[in-house]
Amino acid sequence: MNRATLLLTNPLVLATLSILALLAVGETLSPGFARGDQIIRLLTVSAILGMVAAGQSLVVIGGREGIDLSVGAMISLGAVLAGNVMAGSDGGIVPAILVAGGATFVVGLVNGLGVTFLRIPPLVMTLGMTGVVQGGLIVLSRGIPSGNAAPSLMSFVNRPLLLGVPGILWLWALVGIAMWFLLRRTQLGYAIYAMGSNERAAELTGLPVRLIRTLLYGLSGLMAGITGVVVIGYTGNSFVSVGDQYVLPSVIAVVIGGISLAGGSGNYFGVMLGAIALTLLQSVLITLQMEFWGRQLIFGGVLLLLMLLYGRTKQLRV
Amino acid sequence: MSPVLEARNITKRFGAVTALSDGSLTVEPGEIHALLGANGCGKSTLSKVIAGTVAPNSGVLRFNGSDIAPRSPRDAEALGIALFYQELSLVPQLSVADNIFLGHERRTAAGFIDAKQLRHDTEALLQRFAGVAGDGFSADAPVSTLAPDQRQIVEILKVLARKPRLIIFDESTAALDRRQVEVFFDILRSLKADGVSSIFISHRMDEIFAICDRITVMRNGVTVTTLTTAETDRDTVVHAMVGELAVPQRFARNSAVAAEPRLVVSQLSSRRLDSVSFDARPGEILGLGGLQGQGQSAVLRSLFGAEPLTDGSVVLDGKTLTLRKPADAIRAGLAYVSGDRGRDAAFHGRSIFENIAAASLVKERRRLVWPNQLKQRFIDAAAALNTKYDGLDAPIGSLSGGNQQKIFISRWLATNSQVLLFDDPTKGIDLAAKADFFTLARGLADQGASIIFYASEDSELLSLCDRILVFNSGAIAAELTGDTLTAFHLTNAAYGKAA
Repeated sequence: MNRATLLLTNPLVLATLSILALLAVGETLSPGFARGDQIIRLLTVSAILGMVAAGQSLVVIGGREGIDLSVGAMISLGAVLAGNVMAGSDGGIVPAILVAGGATFVVGLVNGLGVTFLRIPPLVMTLGMTGVVQGGLIVLSRGIPSGNAAPSLMSFVNRPLLLGVPGILWLWALVGIAMWFLLRRTQLGYAIYAMGSNERAAELTGLPVRLIRTLLYGLSGLMAGITGVVVIGYTGNSFVSVGDQYVLPSVIAVVIGGISLAGGSGNYFGVMLGAIALTLLQSVLITLQMEFWGRQLIFGGVLLLLMLLYGRTKQLRV
Repeated sequence: MSPVLEARNITKRFGAVTALSDGSLTVEPGEIHALLGANGCGKSTLSKVIAGTVAPNSGVLRFNGSDIAPRSPRDAEALGIALFYQELSLVPQLSVADNIFLGHERRTAAGFIDAKQLRHDTEALLQRFAGVAGDGFSADAPVSTLAPDQRQIVEILKVLARKPRLIIFDESTAALDRRQVEVFFDILRSLKADGVSSIFISHRMDEIFAICDRITVMRNGVTVTTLTTAETDRDTVVHAMVGELAVPQRFARNSAVAAEPRLVVSQLSSRRLDSVSFDARPGEILGLGGLQGQGQSAVLRSLFGAEPLTDGSVVLDGKTLTLRKPADAIRAGLAYVSGDRGRDAAFHGRSIFENIAAASLVKERRRLVWPNQLKQRFIDAAAALNTKYDGLDAPIGSLSGGNQQKIFISRWLATNSQVLLFDDPTKGIDLAAKADFFTLARGLADQGASIIFYASEDSELLSLCDRILVFNSGAIAAELTGDTLTAFHLTNAAYGKAA
């Protein structure tokens, strides 16, 4: 393989090129698409996807077919809990974050325990958990939208905070740095890659593989719960299926970002680019006035296409 | 009477490797003939040539007086040569009769399986084993309801149903207990009485002397001799197996072994170990020998906390260790290097730095990782083994097998562990890398480390070890030191005789 093709199959390069191409397409279709305030708007939506994809990344890198399909239900859970706890008052923001994060972390740990100790396949475990959480939410809220975002939270997500950039984007940047630090500068991060690459070898170097795997699902739940708080800040109120739309994109963003679904490789920087590219794609499709089903079709197609593409390059590298 | 099988000057090459350079074997009608030799001596290849699974490069194969060249096991079977598989090939849900004739069912004129004939043929076969088969053994019994030795009988009946004149039994008794071996021998004797010949491949010398008429010994791809069991003894057989081996190059000790043991292992017991006790001293390389799979790996893995123990104690430097998981062993100062590096050691797709770092992070409880603090130490560890690599950031997959293994050893050198458990560490690596490993191991011992070293190749044990424990069936069968550190004593002990 020569240098040029190698560069083109690099996920980071590919994601960056798609972002530029999508911006160009968007601008052509609808002048003003790539304007500054529009881009901030796009990045805000990307940040929400990017944060839930952070937890997804950890679970996928950890290997053993790791995937968390319950992130959608967890976002809903976080949003509904947060909305009801803060009930429109700024004083409720901190308790809301603690309750939403705490509850989703615990539910995530249950996922982890099922996957690790009962050896339930992650796909099945997290899909089952989705049903349990969604059912519970409907019982609790009787299916009616409930809870209100505090004004400060809404302005944190939607209004410029510093240098014309909303707080949510600063938060996302912080998440990016934290993910880099976790993965590249802590034993936990080294262990996640090691066990994703070869679980048996990781155990034989003394890494607490089972504990870590359980924790990863807890962290994924936590990130989804925090994302839920951000979502209610973005939309103003919460309803029981508000998180559903993030499940498939969170997986696609991870794959666009160059994380192999087999585990043990990739980094979060790529996933951030992946989240932006995916959000852009969605905007372009909306600009084209494509219906929901059409976007779903294209999203699914993109995922399968990427699997095909990266599956091939992996084979070529051996 | 002319021999039933005659194999002469059979050769077989696999690529550049000559597995068989002069394989010869003559089997008389009704004879039980042992084929014996160390691992890699060519006995397996020779039996595969006879059974039709491997085509020879040259040589003569005669069966019942005419030249044959079986191209497949089916060809050989049609001629009357059967290979007995130890790996159970039975379908548990089907009956004894169905299993025996699976794929060879007699058909009625309409093309259906002739159930009546099937049953009749099965009854006739079962008749022969009426005495040894035990309760619940009938043509209609589903195989899943049978005891293990009864299943073994079904396997044998399956072979007999094809009416062979010669059966090759390759390690057929390896999985059987004493009573089941007796049943198996009864079967062999009844075959013999019917004039059926057997080739019996086994590592158990007792069994060979108990049942076989003659013994053919192979070494390095050549048939060395054929002995009549009644006229020979075990020492003669072992000498034939070992030959006049060139004395392997000794990696001699440069410093004294300390008198006080560092590691005292008492009564280790588990599913695969039977009350194993020994000690290891600073400066000593202790070898674990014997046939493969006799508990050598199990001891090392148990000491490392990777396999559960049911009983026993491990004392290191006066402290009793609790070994529930590898991290316990690592923090106590033990290290474990497996020969199966792809499965047990490699973090595929990750950098050399990460592949080395894991163990140090665990041992030193480093929650945070600052690569610059560790790099020099890792470079030094890799250099101690002459590792050739393109920087710590290169992926592990960019290295050759031997250099990869050096990295996995460096992983432990970097932790400065004082008790090194080597589990066949040189498996599949090149000679230069092996020499580097030997030099390193001896050097570490000279500096005061204790090394426990299992190797599947006897010559490696003999060239490196100060003392060898020979394992058999999960227990220590013999301890070799000083004058008894020879290929003869090692082989003799491995094949079941105390030195």
